[in-house]
Amino acid sequence: MTEYVVKSRGLSKSFGDFQALKNVDFNVPLGRIVGVIGANGAGKTTLLNAVLGLSSYEGDLKVLGRDPAKERDALMKDVCFIADVATLPKWMKVSEVLDYVEAVHPRFDRAKAMDFLSRTQVPLDRKVRALSKGMTVQVHLAVVMSIEAKLLVLDEPTLGLDVIFRKQFYQSLLEEYFDEDRTVIITTHQVEEIEHILTDVVFIKGGNIVLENDMDSLTQQFIEVIVDQGKEEEALALKPITNGSTFGKSTCVYKNVDREKLASLGETRRLGLADIFVATMTGEGQ
Amino acid sequence: MNILKALVKREILDGKNGYLRVPVVLAGITVALLALSALGFGNMIEFHGMEGGTMHREGIENLGDAVTRLHEKEPENAPAAIAVGYWGMSALAWMAFPFVVFFSLLGALYEERRDKSILFWKSMPVADWQEVAVKLFVPVIVAPLVFLGVTIAAQIIIAFFLSVVVLFEGGPVLVMWPLGYMMGSWLAGISMYLIYAMWALPVFAWILLVSAFSNRMPFMWAVLLPGVAIAMENLFLDTNVVGSWIGMHVGGWMEFAFAGHHKDINGPRDLLVELLGGPQLEALGYSVTSLHFWAGLVVAGGIVYATIEKRKRAI
Repeated sequence: MTEYVVKSRGLSKSFGDFQALKNVDFNVPLGRIVGVIGANGAGKTTLLNAVLGLSSYEGDLKVLGRDPAKERDALMKDVCFIADVATLPKWMKVSEVLDYVEAVHPRFDRAKAMDFLSRTQVPLDRKVRALSKGMTVQVHLAVVMSIEAKLLVLDEPTLGLDVIFRKQFYQSLLEEYFDEDRTVIITTHQVEEIEHILTDVVFIKGGNIVLENDMDSLTQQFIEVIVDQGKEEEALALKPITNGSTFGKSTCVYKNVDREKLASLGETRRLGLADIFVATMTGEGQ
Repeated sequence: MNILKALVKREILDGKNGYLRVPVVLAGITVALLALSALGFGNMIEFHGMEGGTMHREGIENLGDAVTRLHEKEPENAPAAIAVGYWGMSALAWMAFPFVVFFSLLGALYEERRDKSILFWKSMPVADWQEVAVKLFVPVIVAPLVFLGVTIAAQIIIAFFLSVVVLFEGGPVLVMWPLGYMMGSWLAGISMYLIYAMWALPVFAWILLVSAFSNRMPFMWAVLLPGVAIAMENLFLDTNVVGSWIGMHVGGWMEFAFAGHHKDINGPRDLLVELLGGPQLEALGYSVTSLHFWAGLVVAGGIVYATIEKRKRAI
């Protein structure tokens, strides 16, 4: 039986008249890296806030068997998160941040955090206020990666970081942090950078989950064909979900169409996650 | 226990300007002025220039003489007078205290929402009630203890300094160290404050609640809301229940606690003996039998509960 880290049924959340989440069933199995992808205002942060016990909600929600709205403090022993804005207290020195976390968190490994930080330029005796945006994120990531949590939630974790550090971060997330007993939920706009580490993906739009799948089967469903000249009509007859042209050749994207049949039309290739997202969100891919 | 210790440490670090720097700077100013007046402006300790002439007629030319004479003329009063004098000299530090408490409470749950650090605090396994309890405890209990510590240090430095002056001027140095009275006054001060703080707890809790709910201008909320309530009540009902209730809790109770307290006080010794032995017990006795007092604690409990609920939902 699959063990679920997050299980929800009919999860809803409204702000006044605006319904940010509409009866969402959001389930995350153990040992996965799940990407939650959606446009701004789609409800990603609202969903994550409910999972983290940061806001109230309607419906059933259990995270690691607990009710996050009522047991946030107990839950935080096993759940770690980085919100989408810089949240480290600016008046604290980096070393004081580590002191504090060491004192209040039973699963924090200071040596590990120091190891992460030793690979950066972050000065420990400097106040967070005086750090660059990138360094602040590095400190926060070092803290979070040194907590032995069962669920890690990252909301735009690498915002403001340069590409080298982003690559390093995802690398160490995969190699040093992630294992089969841990689960990671991650949101980002830079979909290309995380698609190779994701095992599952959830697309969210207007407060609804519009797609929930594992990466392997998802990428097999969507195929792009660079149609050979003269076969355009044949290609259109198979009802592509989008079509356009590149370098004078027409290209068509198909969902759930037999690959061998498509191969007879021209060169085929799998679609990247970003393209799948766009195809799905524009409505034609559903 | 570890968590509470870490939270208290964090609050002190966060508020160290108010809790530590302000009293240290003010006490430092007092000590420095005293030192300057003795060293640079010897004539303030040498009483040559004093007007009036009484001192001069009695042969008092400097601090040493004054202490000698005080000790001879009023041996019973001298130590108490000196202990009271030390309080007078170190009182400057306490002038900032009400402001430090007020603004610490007002910023406690407001600033963390403003700079979003609340999301970091909430990512730790710390319950909201623990956060709120510490944010009430530190300004109301820890801050006065720090102020008292600074006062004690200042009094000892002043005593030491004046002892040196008196020693050079040939006065009785030991008289400058009325340790019993000094220590007694420190204990009396803090126990009196604790009773005061329990009376004022609903007011402290109110400021903390404001810091938890207001999205901007918490100062206006904290002060104007009760102000408007009092004004409306006066205007429309022609009564003053809210105002007198608040007044009672921020100090009005003392008038009742010490009613019938008209002992003759002759000299500083009586005053200090009176302050050391009587009022705390009297105040405590009055408080525990006062319905007003218990009502205040219940109201404070309700406000703290509301504050915790507010903190649970805040991001």
